[in-house]
Amino acid sequence: MEFCILSIIRQGEVYPSDLVERMKSANLHILEGTLYPLLTRLKNAGLLTYRWVESNSGPPRKYFVMTDKGLEFYSELERTWQELADAVHALTRPASDNSSDENPTQP
Amino acid sequence: MKKVININFQGRVIPIEESAYDILKQYVESLRRFFANEEGRDEIINDIEGRIAELFGESLKKGSTCITDEDVNHIIASMGRPEDFEDEEGKVQSQLGGEEKQSRTSYQYESANDAPRGRLYRDDNDKILGGVCGGLASYLRIDPTIVRLVFALISFAAGGGILLYILLWIILPSKPLSNTSTTKRLYRNPDEKVVAGVASGIASYFDIAIWVPRLIFALPLVTGILTSIVRKTFWFDDDFFPGFVFGSFGGTLFVVYVVLWAVIPEAKSASEKLEMRGEKVDLNTIKNTIQEDLEGFKSRAEKWGGEFKDKAQQFGHEFGQTVNQKTQQFSKEAGYVAHSGGNRLLRAIGIMFKAFFLFIAGVIAFALLVALLALMAAGIGVFPLKNFFLEGFWQNFLAWSTLLLFLGVPVIAFITWVIRRIMGVRSGNKYIGFTFAGLWVMGLISAGILAASIAQNFDARARDKQDYSIVQPSHGKLIVKVPESKVKVYGRFFKMDGILSMTDDSLFLNNVRLHLVKSTDSTFHVNAYKYSHGSDESNAVNNVKEINYGINQDDSVLLLDRGFSLQRGTKFRNQSVTVTIQVPVGKRIVITGSVNRRLNYFHINSRNGDWDFDDDWNNNWENWSSDVEYVMTAGGLERVKKEQVNEDENSDGSNTEKDAIEKYKKSKEELKKEYDKKQKEAEDLKKELEKPVDTTRYHYQKSVSYIENTDPAKFQGNGRKSNNEELDLSSEGPATLMIMQMI
Repeated sequence: MEFCILSIIRQGEVYPSDLVERMKSANLHILEGTLYPLLTRLKNAGLLTYRWVESNSGPPRKYFVMTDKGLEFYSELERTWQELADAVHALTRPASDNSSDENPTQP
Repeated sequence: MKKVININFQGRVIPIEESAYDILKQYVESLRRFFANEEGRDEIINDIEGRIAELFGESLKKGSTCITDEDVNHIIASMGRPEDFEDEEGKVQSQLGGEEKQSRTSYQYESANDAPRGRLYRDDNDKILGGVCGGLASYLRIDPTIVRLVFALISFAAGGGILLYILLWIILPSKPLSNTSTTKRLYRNPDEKVVAGVASGIASYFDIAIWVPRLIFALPLVTGILTSIVRKTFWFDDDFFPGFVFGSFGGTLFVVYVVLWAVIPEAKSASEKLEMRGEKVDLNTIKNTIQEDLEGFKSRAEKWGGEFKDKAQQFGHEFGQTVNQKTQQFSKEAGYVAHSGGNRLLRAIGIMFKAFFLFIAGVIAFALLVALLALMAAGIGVFPLKNFFLEGFWQNFLAWSTLLLFLGVPVIAFITWVIRRIMGVRSGNKYIGFTFAGLWVMGLISAGILAASIAQNFDARARDKQDYSIVQPSHGKLIVKVPESKVKVYGRFFKMDGILSMTDDSLFLNNVRLHLVKSTDSTFHVNAYKYSHGSDESNAVNNVKEINYGINQDDSVLLLDRGFSLQRGTKFRNQSVTVTIQVPVGKRIVITGSVNRRLNYFHINSRNGDWDFDDDWNNNWENWSSDVEYVMTAGGLERVKKEQVNEDENSDGSNTEKDAIEKYKKSKEELKKEYDKKQKEAEDLKKELEKPVDTTRYHYQKSVSYIENTDPAKFQGNGRKSNNEELDLSSEGPATLMIMQMI
């Protein structure tokens, strides 16, 4: 999940509710309530940073941006994921059938 | 119709229905509790609130006049309740990767497998030593702490518990059991504690009022201390401290408390606290798991990735590496177990120390309280004396305020504090404390002023000399006695120097000292110095004149009054009398035991007419004994008739006595040395002599008595025996004759 979020944030500045929308459009339903703690944790880990943007409807919004460290972590995570996916693929290739529902989303 | 209120939410004024506000408040509160252990809790809550505020703003923009229940519920649904977070997480994760799902379900499967009881395992998850108790507890579905207590008790009682434990440890297989029991668990309650929260934990476990176990724990202690105080006050027991330590603690629950303290875990986390109260723990278990999941995400992902990679690569080859890994893991685990065991032992020792120090601190605190109580009692005791001490209205007033505020307030405050703690009342207002502190400070100030003003009353000192003409005793020997006075000794509830007794309107003092000096001429002289303090010179002199002390003479017997009395109106200003007897050289003096017994101070100064009263007053006290004849020599008083002191101890003493008479002109030091040496020798000799003589005599006597006792008996017995034989013969004789005749 962090992988997904990081991949979205990597593409540019993002606001949490937009993030939810993006995830939704990718057929991943998450609650905003779970998202905020995650973002805070990632931010505390130094992977993300944010800036305040005044909004016309409500309090100022936090827009999250990825840091260099976050980028590093992301590439590492991606590599791990890739290896994992490859391994699973290599394993399931002979059987070939049941691999489809195992990895429905690969961003 | 609903009430609409305006709230300030994230810097915005938002009109909201009251019921909707309640829902929102509850929701935020639940979030706050959910993220209680999170690092960035406030930030998370803030973010979520911000988002909610934004959504509110949107819905207000759309034209609605206020936020309704519906709006709030809708927002909460989209944000998700804390309970949903877990599911959501699981769902997303299952969507993300099948392997996570697999591992999760397999874990769940495992734990589901454990749920039905039926097999007894050692519990790997909940263990102190080997998990035997934990496993037993989950088998029996009771609190493992109770099982541990039972084991500990058995071990203490017979030692069988240890053996049983080791046996079970060996026999039972180990398995990580998941503890999803809904039963209450026994915890120490850190929120409501006096010492360590044991009592309150027990109270919440058994669902009883909190003061009941506290009282049970505290009552034997308190009663023990109180009885010892009472005993101390009224019977003057000397072994006060050990008395109340061992008397009240030996058989009481103090030990039990310490053991429970060491055994029962403290309810630290929210879920443990809920468990302690026996409430549902769903939310919290969920919270714990989700947090663990999230925190361990990265490491787990990497680990799983690595493991899967390994497995994929080595698929079909060998499992050697995995086995290796497993063994490594196992050894690591074993090391951890050993480590944690050591830690626990250390912790137990730490708890013991802590308990000990707390105990000592408690004892000290209690001792202080007792001291305060005693002071107060003394204050009340002194109270009848106040008319003799105090002058005027202000001093009386100050005395009262000192007694009530300085001494009374701490006692009352302590008692209220104890009661409040026992009843579990949390004091909300600080005013009680401030009030007590303020009153006490007032008491302190008045005590200081009182002390100062009383001290001022004792400022000046006066002395007056009174000569008594006495007839010279006929045998050159003066016997000093103090006759029994008619006044009874006032109860010894408190002791104060010099005050012998008192009635309502008179105070009888026996501040009388006796002072022996060498006379300057060849006659006995007796005079008395009267002292008194006063606020100024004239006052002191007046006080001196009030003292009426009498000395009577009956030929060679000098009778000293036991004391002197102060009439009502005369204040106690530390009046005292020093009687000086001048003994001429060559004359003898006997101080009877009554002097020692009945006079307050009895000091002998046998040096050469020291008229300086501030000289070391007491130097010969150790060597002095009553009822012994002393003779005044040029060098000072010398002892006569030593056998009176030594009594019948030895006959050798008489030699030294003769020596003393012959050589009393010798220097005192030499004689003393010689005497001491000889006495020692004599004692040694006597000891040596006594031992063998006594034992031999004893043996001798015994053997004699033995012979005397047994021999005649033997002799008699023999004699009787022979008589019997004769009788037998004689009785047999006719019978045989008869038989012979019949034949």
